[in-house]
Amino acid sequence: MKRGLSLQAALAAYRPDTELAPLPELNDPDTLLNEHHPDHLRGSMTKLTIGPNAGADCQRELADLLQAEAFIDEADLAGAQVTDTDVLVIGGGGAGCAAALAAAESGARVLLATKLRLGDSNTVMAEGGIQAAIEPDDSAQQHMQDTLRAGHHAGDPALVAAMVGDGPEVIRWLIHQGMQFDQTASGDLRTRRAGGMTAPRIVHCRDYTGLEMMRVLREAVKQHRGIEVWDQSPVVELLSNERGQKCVGAVLASLSDGSMRIVRTRSVILATGGLGRLHLNGFPTSNHIGATGDGLVLAYRMGAHLCDLDSFQYHPTGLVHPPHLSGKLVTEGVRAAGALLLNGQGQRFVDELQPRDIVCAAIIRECREGRGIHTDNGGVGVWLDTPRLECSQPGMLEQQFPKLLARTHHVGIDPRREPILVYPTLHYQNGGIVIDVNGTTSVPGLYAAGEVAGGIHGRNRIMGNALLDIIGFGRRAGRAAALAEHDRGPKKITLEHVNRARRALTLAGLPLTQRAPQILPAYTAVGKDIWKP
Amino acid sequence: MTDNVRHPASVELLINGITVHAEPQMTIVEAAWAGSVPRVTGVGCLEGVCGSCRILVKKGKEVNVALACETFVEAGMEALFLPAPGTDRHQYELTELADGWDIQARFHEIFPEASRCRHCNGCVQSCPKGIVVEDGVALAAAGRFREAGEAFFECVMCELCDNACPENIAPAHVGLFSRRITAFFHLRPPNLIHKLEEIRKEQAAKKDLP
Repeated sequence: MKRGLSLQAALAAYRPDTELAPLPELNDPDTLLNEHHPDHLRGSMTKLTIGPNAGADCQRELADLLQAEAFIDEADLAGAQVTDTDVLVIGGGGAGCAAALAAAESGARVLLATKLRLGDSNTVMAEGGIQAAIEPDDSAQQHMQDTLRAGHHAGDPALVAAMVGDGPEVIRWLIHQGMQFDQTASGDLRTRRAGGMTAPRIVHCRDYTGLEMMRVLREAVKQHRGIEVWDQSPVVELLSNERGQKCVGAVLASLSDGSMRIVRTRSVILATGGLGRLHLNGFPTSNHIGATGDGLVLAYRMGAHLCDLDSFQYHPTGLVHPPHLSGKLVTEGVRAAGALLLNGQGQRFVDELQPRDIVCAAIIRECREGRGIHTDNGGVGVWLDTPRLECSQPGMLEQQFPKLLARTHHVGIDPRREPILVYPTLHYQNGGIVIDVNGTTSVPGLYAAGEVAGGIHGRNRIMGNALLDIIGFGRRAGRAAALAEHDRGPKKITLEHVNRARRALTLAGLPLTQRAPQILPAYTAVGKDIWKP
Repeated sequence: MTDNVRHPASVELLINGITVHAEPQMTIVEAAWAGSVPRVTGVGCLEGVCGSCRILVKKGKEVNVALACETFVEAGMEALFLPAPGTDRHQYELTELADGWDIQARFHEIFPEASRCRHCNGCVQSCPKGIVVEDGVALAAAGRFREAGEAFFECVMCELCDNACPENIAPAHVGLFSRRITAFFHLRPPNLIHKLEEIRKEQAAKKDLP
């Protein structure tokens, strides 16, 4: 990487009223992605050798976890307390809560188990909003086209159609749970247009959309008499029938006392979220501390098909500075509101409302080619020009982006006067467990919803589709799991699938030393100790 | 870069009773991890919105509560991670509040303590988000739920105000209740309702086809 300007020099040279040269044209987006998007980093990909996706491309660090040994065997289950329930939901974010509520509304007894506290998730950190085609000049068809196009046509059209069709009803349901959204003076829901969209379609609650959603859903789940919640209870393994071909429960550990508990059930819904805390390719992440990809590992060992394991979203505008917020997000809403991206030379280099993968690759190109801005502790980035936005629309940042101001205020940075240094941050897992429109996976009894599921966003997700995805498919999975038919006859719970995976590892000559799921991440900001050079 | 900048003088503090040496720009969470303080799992988003990393902080003679991911280390500071809040005692389901006209009465049935605020200011001092909790509770107790909910807009549900309240009002839940019923009863956006109606008609027309 060529060295650009220092942060001090760039700040001294910055003026919010500098005249900008016209934007250079983007002639060949594919070449830009191939040369600069982190998915295309040399050495970042490998091929899986065991399991349902053997032979498929997979990100290297993820492949190591998918092809690892389980934590437990039969001996660990002896004497473990057994709990029976109709539906077990694993994960306490937006998708898990939506699934639990939908299953309970369908009459099932629900147990929701979550690794940390209920609501500790990426959902609570979502800022920008949720997409729903509700404006008069918009339609579900348009929403579908935008989603497929931005995903490079790799998404499953049936899943996308289901999601966009759910949009307006999802918003109504959220309001019914008690969630507020920003309104115009006439009472309409306020909408924004963000990257890759042909119409304004993002509804939001200032830049705290995820927090508002999560606190409402958490309260709704806790108050629901049909749902029992187990906090601090990560899943360490799923349970299968004696042929290893149906999911019949899970083994949960307790972070507070270390004990193992068995849950026997007719349906398991995986809603474990993403994997940003694996810090793929050494990138910082915007993700919650619990995002370690546990659900992918467990589903794969059980025999579920996964998809697009070589495609991840690096959000263009992660904070570089201050260091304790490294990788944390500045919502795309700020660009949707009109903020520009400027390189170290003070010039624009990409249309800020291109899809996220393009904007991300363009920022990385600028920094590699010496047009970035460098901090003292090794960070690099470009400007997100918030002061210019403030000049053109005074007061807007304060009204619409209170979270941005609150986070930077207590470290003495005012985005209304100083531009924000940003660089791409590992944000979202585009692929995941293959599902159908009911959240059904290729393993009977096993459902998936939310970020852990794949096939919806293709190879690049657009803003606001994640929150829609988790609620829409969370509710679909919850209903389907609750209405699934009862198994008759004795219920046998085994670890047959674990034994099968171990045989496959041995046959493939892979080591049995690494164990997964990871459950708790390396507790540092970028996967290594950032405080030591 | 000088050596001095790269290795700034370390700060000594106590976290969960364990002596930790931290760099000055670290937060309590980072210092706990860097200092290998065991069993710190009450951490979530690291950006002050999930409300999980609740701590008790002692600086000199001053004791307060805070969120560890937003609190920077200081020499001589003592920090203690608090357990997650227990289940709230105030039970209600929105669907059982069918009538908006008796909502004030129902509120006082669900939160009987809310009208007993003794203005001790404990909740206000304990709020890491600078919410004027007491005023918010007073607004809710007076039935002004929209304004009460707005007062709690930046609430992250850390429930530290609940710990501080001698009357067990559970202010964070009062705030969330106020916000939820405001949406439940009053948020009726015409553009959304119009779209839902269009969809309903389309589906009805499809059903009528032979």
